[in-house]
Amino acid sequence: MSQTTDTTATGSASPRSADQTAPSHRRWRLAAYPSLLTAPAVLLLIAAMAYPLLTIVLRSLSEPEWGLQNYVWFFSTPVNITVLARTFSISAWVTIVCVIAAYPYAYLMTAVGPRMRLVLILCVLVPFWVSGVVRTLAWVILLQDSGVINLVLKWLGFGAVKLIRTPTGVVIGMAQVLLPFMILPLYSVMRGIDLRLVQAARSLGARPALAFWQVYLPLSLPGVFAGAIIVFILALGFYITPALLGGPRSTMLSTLVQSQVLSLLNWGRGGAMGVVLLVSTFVLLALAAPLMRQRHKQASRS
Amino acid sequence: MGCKSVFAGLAGATAIALIATFAASAGDAPPAGTIVDGSLKGKTLTFVSYGGIYQDGQVAALKDFVDKTGVTLLNDGPTEIAKLQAQVESGNVTWDVVDTADLPPYVHCGTLFQKLDFSKLDISHIPPGQVGECSVPAMNYGMVLMYKNDTYKDNPPKDWKDFFDTEKFPGVRAIDGSGDPIGALIEQGVLADGGSTENMTKEDIDKGIARIKALGPDTIFWKTGAESQQLAESGEADMIMMWTGRAMTAVDNGAEYTPVWKDWMVVMDQMTIPVGVKDTDAAYALLNAYLGKREQEILTEKTSYSPINDEAKPDVPDSVAKWLTNTPERISQGYQQNIKFWVANFDYASEKWTALMAGN
Repeated sequence: MSQTTDTTATGSASPRSADQTAPSHRRWRLAAYPSLLTAPAVLLLIAAMAYPLLTIVLRSLSEPEWGLQNYVWFFSTPVNITVLARTFSISAWVTIVCVIAAYPYAYLMTAVGPRMRLVLILCVLVPFWVSGVVRTLAWVILLQDSGVINLVLKWLGFGAVKLIRTPTGVVIGMAQVLLPFMILPLYSVMRGIDLRLVQAARSLGARPALAFWQVYLPLSLPGVFAGAIIVFILALGFYITPALLGGPRSTMLSTLVQSQVLSLLNWGRGGAMGVVLLVSTFVLLALAAPLMRQRHKQASRS
Repeated sequence: MGCKSVFAGLAGATAIALIATFAASAGDAPPAGTIVDGSLKGKTLTFVSYGGIYQDGQVAALKDFVDKTGVTLLNDGPTEIAKLQAQVESGNVTWDVVDTADLPPYVHCGTLFQKLDFSKLDISHIPPGQVGECSVPAMNYGMVLMYKNDTYKDNPPKDWKDFFDTEKFPGVRAIDGSGDPIGALIEQGVLADGGSTENMTKEDIDKGIARIKALGPDTIFWKTGAESQQLAESGEADMIMMWTGRAMTAVDNGAEYTPVWKDWMVVMDQMTIPVGVKDTDAAYALLNAYLGKREQEILTEKTSYSPINDEAKPDVPDSVAKWLTNTPERISQGYQQNIKFWVANFDYASEKWTALMAGN
């Protein structure tokens, strides 16, 4: 069994790895030339990312005077810590919900014919064309106490569920908005998985569940990680959805930043909050990175 | 007043500055609503407000001013004090006249907003107590307590004390959580707590906020006017603190709620001129025109907000008229927050309010 799997795996994996290494060799040889091509992107990133970010860091350290007072304030104010922790936990839940919802969907996209696939892709992309505020307000109508979901539950004889202005409601709304960011990377990875590997596993006696668990799932993990990281990071900075669907117990850090900057004009504190969020995200990613790389290696080895 | 002679004598003047100097030397501002033909030809003013029908109404009110003076009026928005601060700090102020919320012109008077020269503005028809050192009101409206008819039937809440009484009046409350702390509500909380709003201290802020928190975990803090309206139309909350304009629209759309007018909270938007605008006199000319009787009538007719010129007699249907806050009866029922106190304690109140909004 292992022999067959191995040959197929190396058969499909080796041209891919050759593809990956060959252009990077060429890139190194022509180092001067292609790097120039990145100039527009680099300039844009410097102007739109690096410079503003630097300003924020500087302001967080220099307003109202030079020093760490804004950071001291951040960590000595209980509400900030509560909300920071909550921001991470809500984002984690959103990521989990997205993975669970997106995985079968992306798989379906690889399994159906081209016309059906187009329909499925459209279903993912159409929400992008609708403003986030409108979509969030639609969720208000669905989730509220007298909303569609509760009416249906009542009609079916169940009790009402409190959804709006709870963290659950926020997670549902955010997961819907962020779902495409999970589906698309998953789909692009799944499309590259050679389904014959699963067939091979089946032909060698693995039950479907086992074939999926030992062959397909590990191969799709890079897509899961890519999607999860995008969704998690985007979720950390969410503003409108938690503001409209959430209550006081689901306020996220962006709302606090907003009130510091927009109503108190306290750019220093607002900046410090942003920097804390950024740094803690980096730390979290750094902790998660080795884990992912290992899994990735395992996936490509199997 | 000699308004007529001033007006006639200057009818041909091309520079608004002339009026200003003349009026200043005469010791009297040109009457509110003064528009001098062709005086601002070739000039551009940027007016900043909150968009929607409100800004449309303001622009409609200023149409005559634009047509006659020849000024090009640009619109921008929504107003964000942080954006204005960035403009003032960078020395490139592109917002000439800015409509702001209640408190910012007091908090940032002289730093972001110019101290107004009242020899250039006629404030004689503005309701008393509404002119600040750096601002004139843009319009008036109120924050009313709306209760759900079904919930309270024969025993409805009568004032804010009842709003804070969750034993006698159980039910979900909805509060304005759209931004700055609502000083008037904190004051009502202090009163409901048995305290007094005379000589308030920081501890009173804590007390008032504790009362709001005691309303319970189901309390809704709405973020936008539209959200408050939606809450009423779907019957989600039993008592909603609501802007009169939104309350009116909700009731028009069939919301079964009734307003409590006792101690309705006076709210106004403010008209300001930022520090560092390129043509201050042109900005004053716009402001003074805006305060005029006819301009304010148009504003009310288009937006249903109350005029801030006491001579204005807007032509509105009864369904709108009953929500206006400028009638003698309404004026006597209104509750004005202690602006001085809230300006002095703005940072502290904001911090406590933010914590309240974040569930802490």
